Amino acid sequence: MKATAERIEKNTVLLEIEVEQEMLEQALDKAYRKVVKQVNIPGFRKGKAPKAMVERYVGKETLFGEAAEMVVPEAYMQALKETEIDPIDQPKIDIVQGEAGKPLIFKATVEVKPEVSLGEYKGVEVTRPSTEVTDEVVQQELERLQNRHAKLITVEDGEVQQDDTTLIDFAGYVDGEAFAGGTAENYTLIIGSGNFIPGFEEQLIGVKVGEEKDVDVTFPEEYHAENLSGKAATFKVKVNEIKRKELAVLDDEFAKDVSEFDTLDELRNDIRNKLKEAAATKANSAVENGTVDAVVANATVEIPEVMIEHKVEEMINNVGQRLAQQGVNMDQYFQYTNSSLNDMRERMKPDAEKTVRSELVLDAIAKAESITTSEEEVNEEIQKIAEYVKQDAKVVRKNLELQGGLGHIIQDMARRKVVAFLVDNAKISEDTKAE
Amino acid sequence: MKNSRDILIKPVVTEKSTSLLAENKYTFIVDLNANKTEIKKAVEDIFKVKVETVNTMRVKGKMKRVRQFTGRTPERKKAIVTLKDGDKIEIFEGL
Repeated sequence: MKATAERIEKNTVLLEIEVEQEMLEQALDKAYRKVVKQVNIPGFRKGKAPKAMVERYVGKETLFGEAAEMVVPEAYMQALKETEIDPIDQPKIDIVQGEAGKPLIFKATVEVKPEVSLGEYKGVEVTRPSTEVTDEVVQQELERLQNRHAKLITVEDGEVQQDDTTLIDFAGYVDGEAFAGGTAENYTLIIGSGNFIPGFEEQLIGVKVGEEKDVDVTFPEEYHAENLSGKAATFKVKVNEIKRKELAVLDDEFAKDVSEFDTLDELRNDIRNKLKEAAATKANSAVENGTVDAVVANATVEIPEVMIEHKVEEMINNVGQRLAQQGVNMDQYFQYTNSSLNDMRERMKPDAEKTVRSELVLDAIAKAESITTSEEEVNEEIQKIAEYVKQDAKVVRKNLELQGGLGHIIQDMARRKVVAFLVDNAKISEDTKAE
Repeated sequence: MKNSRDILIKPVVTEKSTSLLAENKYTFIVDLNANKTEIKKAVEDIFKVKVETVNTMRVKGKMKRVRQFTGRTPERKKAIVTLKDGDKIEIFEGL
């Protein structure tokens, strides 16, 4: 097999491939063996007719087309390997010469990955956000804990205050008449929650347990029930019970109650460490993203449209899978969000372009710095996946190979390595200011 | 005597007849009333080959029925002609 590659446009390569006669003959033979099983020729059992008979019966062209279908992809793949071309789309194939007894010549036009001209990628400057955790942040976190563990205490005889939880009976009248949905007994209302129409909750403040009060309110103009919107109403309200949140005192006792620590200081330290860890993770990814962004910005790539389209398809598939896990299919999703597949495509385009761009740049750097993934590393990764899905590593590997996911994993690992390499080489300045 | 072309009606192309080609035997449907000598002459005349032997057989028509009416497909005579070594009949070539 002979193949010549020629770059005809920026991202398009024209491959001219010649397949030797013997290979073609072999393919023709195979084609005959396949076709003969499908045609029914009178006088012969299926699959028993001689070649010339089949040829006359189905036509030479059919046999030839069948043979070409077998030999072309094979030759094409081989040609790609020989010419070291990495296509990103299906090739357009034109058969130039296709006759029995002569070599088969065909042309394949294919889009390839664009050339990336890398800019500066070593020593890009990034700022690492501070991971300092201030006392106030810790205190806030403690207070949140305190609130979560607060007890509701029934107030025997007191007045309704802000943030109290009340049990009320109420009956509402518009123009002296009760209306649907305006009455309830022992309804739990938190004052200040804003669940009721504005003014209602505020007017209850100061009412004692067991007392009744008439509350005058006006329904807002944009109330959901149209017959009520904008109308003045009177509610007869009786307060049955008042419950007040009682915050625990912040002391060692509290620490013991809410955590496995014995003293408040230990709890404080724990909170601080956890916050610090979170901040560090955040800072690391910020540094990584910042570095990659900077490097990508320094490089110039012209991305062919097909690559973006492929990426968009991939992303939509991912979304679809996530939705499917939640038991929603794509059509339902579009109905809920009142959008369409095309909207989604449009929306994802900028993101897809960005991803493709950084992937291309990262791959280019990997090539420039000859960063590769070794077999052992891949095995390690597979082992990890195997442990995660609780399957044998060999099985996992086989499945991945079958689905073609192995290449993705290797690519992904290489990219992660490049990112690490970039971060190592970046000038990182610390941001000392606390958030 | 009859015309050679009236004696030989058509070649038989089946799996069985194709496999007989390997033994230099060619199969024809021939006129029901033709005898071996006539067939031999006809083949030699038309294809310009030398015939060694001729075997013939009558193929009885099959019974066919359309609703209640029974009938029979026509009876035919089949001849297997063995040629002299090296001789060939072109129309069978490549089968």
